[in-house]
Amino acid sequence: MENLTEVLQLFLSIDNFIAIALGVVIGVTVGSIPGLTATMAVALALPFTFSMQPVAAILLLVGIYKGGMYGGSITAILIRTPGSPASACTLLDGYPMAQQGNAKKALKAALFSSVIADFISNIALIFFAAYLAKIALNFGAPEFFWLICFSLTIIISLASGSMVKGLLAALLGILLSLVGLDSVFGSQRLTFGNYNLMDSISFIPLLIGLFAIPEIIEFYRKKVIPHIKAKASGVGMTLAELKRCMKSIVRGSLIGVIIGAIPGTGATAAAFISYSDARRRSPNKANFGKGEVEGVAAAEAGNNGVAGATLIPLLSLGIPGDVITAIILGAFMVHGLTPGPIMFQENLSLIYALFLGIMFSSLILLVVGNAAIKYFSLIADIPKSILFPIVLMFCVYGAYAVNNMTFDIWLMLAFGVVGYLFNRTGIPAAPFLIGFILGPMFEDNLRRSLLISNGDMSIFVRGPITWFFIAITFGSIAFAVFRFFKDRNTKLNADKLTNET
Amino acid sequence: MKKFVSATCIAACSSALLLAASVSTVNAADWPTGDVRLVVPYAPGGTTDVLSRRVADLLKDALDTNVIVENRPGAGSTVGTGRLARGGRDADHTLLMASPGHTIGAAIYPDLAYDPVEDFVFIQNIIDIPNVMVVPASSPYQTVVEFIEAAQDKNMAFSHSGVGSSIHMSGELFKTLTGSQMTAVPFAGSGAALPALLGGDVDVSFENMPTVYSHIKSGDLRALAVTSAERSPYLPEVPTLSEIGEHNLDQFVTTAWFGLIAHNSFPEEGYEAMQTALDEVMERQEFLDFAEQLGAQPGQVEGEEFKQFVIDDLARWEEVAQQAGISQ
Repeated sequence: MENLTEVLQLFLSIDNFIAIALGVVIGVTVGSIPGLTATMAVALALPFTFSMQPVAAILLLVGIYKGGMYGGSITAILIRTPGSPASACTLLDGYPMAQQGNAKKALKAALFSSVIADFISNIALIFFAAYLAKIALNFGAPEFFWLICFSLTIIISLASGSMVKGLLAALLGILLSLVGLDSVFGSQRLTFGNYNLMDSISFIPLLIGLFAIPEIIEFYRKKVIPHIKAKASGVGMTLAELKRCMKSIVRGSLIGVIIGAIPGTGATAAAFISYSDARRRSPNKANFGKGEVEGVAAAEAGNNGVAGATLIPLLSLGIPGDVITAIILGAFMVHGLTPGPIMFQENLSLIYALFLGIMFSSLILLVVGNAAIKYFSLIADIPKSILFPIVLMFCVYGAYAVNNMTFDIWLMLAFGVVGYLFNRTGIPAAPFLIGFILGPMFEDNLRRSLLISNGDMSIFVRGPITWFFIAITFGSIAFAVFRFFKDRNTKLNADKLTNET
Repeated sequence: MKKFVSATCIAACSSALLLAASVSTVNAADWPTGDVRLVVPYAPGGTTDVLSRRVADLLKDALDTNVIVENRPGAGSTVGTGRLARGGRDADHTLLMASPGHTIGAAIYPDLAYDPVEDFVFIQNIIDIPNVMVVPASSPYQTVVEFIEAAQDKNMAFSHSGVGSSIHMSGELFKTLTGSQMTAVPFAGSGAALPALLGGDVDVSFENMPTVYSHIKSGDLRALAVTSAERSPYLPEVPTLSEIGEHNLDQFVTTAWFGLIAHNSFPEEGYEAMQTALDEVMERQEFLDFAEQLGAQPGQVEGEEFKQFVIDDLARWEEVAQQAGISQ
């Protein structure tokens, strides 16, 4: 009881509420500007938290993190420019929806699924942190390796249309991910002596180039204004649609929670895994990639599910799973707190006050997000001839801002041409991105496993987690092959029937 | 007419001279004359970044001007450092937070476009963080000597946070000095490396103190030694590697050091103003509390001594990089 009073005393302070609200507003704003990521905003806000109370300080940073995670989807949906890497997957269906005049619906779907996923993630953090942290510790390099293998089989389900083109795109993604320094020997690979490439190809310029630039090229090539069916801001998401997407949102959130609890995977991978899982199970499979509201919901559930869960290894083990949680760890330390098992013994009231604040941040996200949609969705109504030059300016700025490097602008423009060629030849961009994101993780964990075991291959079958992932990886491949032949037979039979009649 | 031209010339020249003289008077009396930039050659969020932002915040008061932190990450720390080395018009108001990446980067990439010593002015070493040789709690090794003896027959895996990090190079140095059989296992940062160590997938690591301190205290990791010259006040019961006195370990002294450097055109008055300001900053209670949280100690050297320290550090890592085969 005494504890409860202390918790409430720590939590019920006006500073905390201001910190959360301010954090979410900053996060949504920064997240929606291409090139400005939540990571940067959190790092920049850090010095301001030095003089604040610890709970308010951490909540400000967590608010920015969560707001940024959602904010990235706004420009992804409206102008096909992902505000952050994690929202790259959202644009696959979000942008087509905006083009069909359903911008508002897409934005609302993204917001609702973000908030629900965020809530589920927070619940997982509060009630299952200790248990999930234990799983995370059992997740070594070989377990990671099989998780990545399973995730790579996603390419099969995302290679809509032509399997050959899908695999080609994925291989190209993997090839480009090899550029940079070798993780074991530090030697340069495919950098052609250019020091700008030593840290590998920067992800945000690649994303902006691949998605935003081809739209602009296409617009000026055709010199016609695309036909917009309805007033672009359109209507919001209906309750029936939300209900239909609910299963995907919950599953996506859980995927996000698991991925978030394991240090080092990240929200971008979670979004793609959730998206492909939803596509595989949905009765509207064919509509994915063409403006399916469930696709937007699944992608956003995946990346927001990560947000609360990344705090699990941070708070319970003192391990930061990504850069943002590393900065938050720094904020804890500045206030004389050391996350980890000891903090649960020594500062329990503070942790519970934080938990209350984190739960509250989901609510604030809903309010701030709704207000943002109201104004942002008007962007979809701006004539393209005015909008595109502004978008191009943002593209250039966004590509430059990540590393303050002019080289990244050229890189972005080069990927713009690649993206345009992809569009013209019907090569899908999603498998390319998955190859680029998962390729290095595949390689690093393969090599790491073999380094740990001194070359002994049995490390790859060392325990129940590896067996589980081996089973679902091969199961996934077998299912895809089975479906491929089934579809072909159905098609052959249908052709036969048509010929006979 | 001629007279008029020459009179104008003289007037112009003398006013230019006067102007120049007045500018230099302003400089001598008052550096900085504008905002000061502090370049962090790493991405936001790492130890260097967090430390730099803390120092910038305190320097702002001491210098009574804005101190703007600018992240210029890339290729270790060599991209940001390379830019500083090129100088430019802001060079007289630009500082850089150097760390072991400055010397290790130069040791690994010998064809850098800059000279890591001659192109810079070394202002002050701000903080030293020791690395700790840690093993999982389940490890059978209780002392460094036991570990080394076991590593003569059995290959040990050590985790590190990336090729060329101080954690990696400390492991390689240990391997070279003691003749142990060890394999470096790279991870993407210390956060990703820790679970492998806690879970017992790797046998040992030479992690930075702040990363492992709470795990040592909670008993999940066992500290066998610290890498600094003297025992850390935070782990007073843990010996230093150099005091072990066997297997050439008396030569093993490394810390993750952080210090401010500038382009070699940095003005003398700026150098003096910075040293006064840093003395003030390093005495502030906020700074000392921050250092304590990092398990760090305030830096010991400044000016020429700091430069000599960097020269020695560079020579040592060049040798280790060569022996470990990680030179490009």
